[in-house]
Amino acid sequence: MGFLDSILGKTKLPEAKTDKLFAISTAAVTLEASQGYKADGKAGVCIKPMESSRYDAARAEIEDLLKLSMKETGTQYKIEKDEYNYVWVVLSDPDFEDLVTNIQMISQVLMEQGFGTQLLAAVYRFRGEDVAYWIYSFKLGSYYPFVPASGRQRDTSREFRLKALMEKEMPIEKDESRWYPMWGMPL
Amino acid sequence: MNRWKSDRGLEARMLLTMGLLTVLYLAFLAVLLSMGVSQMAIILFMGAFMFLQYFYSDRMILSSMGARIVTESEEPELYQIVSRLCANADLPMPKIAVVKTSMPNAFATGRNQSHAVVAVTTGIMERLNYSELEAVLAHELTHVKNRDMMVMTIATFLSSIAQILVQWAPFLGGSSRDRDSGSNAALLLLVSLVVWIVSFILIRTLSRYREFAADRGAAIITGQPSNLISALKKISGFRVPTEDLRKVEGPVSALFITPAISGSGFMRLFSTHPSLEARIEALQKIEMELEA
Repeated sequence: MGFLDSILGKTKLPEAKTDKLFAISTAAVTLEASQGYKADGKAGVCIKPMESSRYDAARAEIEDLLKLSMKETGTQYKIEKDEYNYVWVVLSDPDFEDLVTNIQMISQVLMEQGFGTQLLAAVYRFRGEDVAYWIYSFKLGSYYPFVPASGRQRDTSREFRLKALMEKEMPIEKDESRWYPMWGMPL
Repeated sequence: MNRWKSDRGLEARMLLTMGLLTVLYLAFLAVLLSMGVSQMAIILFMGAFMFLQYFYSDRMILSSMGARIVTESEEPELYQIVSRLCANADLPMPKIAVVKTSMPNAFATGRNQSHAVVAVTTGIMERLNYSELEAVLAHELTHVKNRDMMVMTIATFLSSIAQILVQWAPFLGGSSRDRDSGSNAALLLLVSLVVWIVSFILIRTLSRYREFAADRGAAIITGQPSNLISALKKISGFRVPTEDLRKVEGPVSALFITPAISGSGFMRLFSTHPSLEARIEALQKIEMELEA
């Protein structure tokens, strides 16, 4: 977002950055081997829906492709709205690679249809002693950990530990003020 | 590829208004300089004053509005709405404040993006549903993103000097015995008065354009222009009727007349916000663009 754009009152949403999305597949191996966090067979994409029949068409296309991939890989999916009116495509598959491929596919379709700006985050759930999420921000093009504790608190010390230990394995967002929590995720 | 287009017309009008203000101010400065240095002292003094005001504006505005900064555990809902919007627009998280009043309103302040405060009244939170509140917060966040505090502070700077000179002019030259300086003071009064009036109209015009830009930004960040439309209607007191048509339709209804909401064209020159109809019309245009 340039200075001139803001002076002229131009609003531009950042385009989705997907080039580092795949980094989670190798990182998942390390997470399990050295951190004791196993992929939990669940992942999701969070989308800001848009008021446009074109957007509805893109959504229908994603659903068709998901049905196809469900036959091929056995990945289960559901599409739902959370309490903040964001749309989630929630995937379940014990095979982690299939989750990563399907998430890549969903973001690709939305970007091709011109809705890349509506992609907010991709989320992978991991389970160790507790549940930890790795959130990929399409805006930042990087990952960050999110460990919810009870009562809308986050276990920040664990998040920082995960960051320190995984920093070499995957692109982790350096600016911790951008580690926005996501409460009430449907996965 | 991106679905969102920018509004070239609005940007051009904004640029023209800012250009006219700059020309006006430069001419004003030239006149002041040609008349002597005593006015420069005023400008320096005012400059320091404006800088302080700009620097402390967030605290000043918050305390004058009776707004209180709230924590995440007090208002988890607001925090989650704003943090998702910020994530979507790639903005740092602002502070969030709440004003206890039944008046439905919201505002943003702070000198830059990392010192921003977004405030809502309890009245607006009660009146609007989740999506409408989100749209209003996105409008305020766009003000932050567009640096409207800075733009408007700079735009009003020389205008307030002209205003002060108009008020001081009688004392500056009135007591002087020298005929020359007396006519100088009269000229100064005249120039300042013209600059004050013209800049006032230009500043208000610019302010309305910034509001249009913030509405547009809210539509883009939320993806749903219609939520802001319904929020604006609710805030301005308009309600989609809940009463059954058959109950309302009766001989009595003939006694009522819908009040004309639109003000006259002349008064519109002086208002800081565009009319409700103009804002809704602009948002509906964005909605059509999304279908194209």
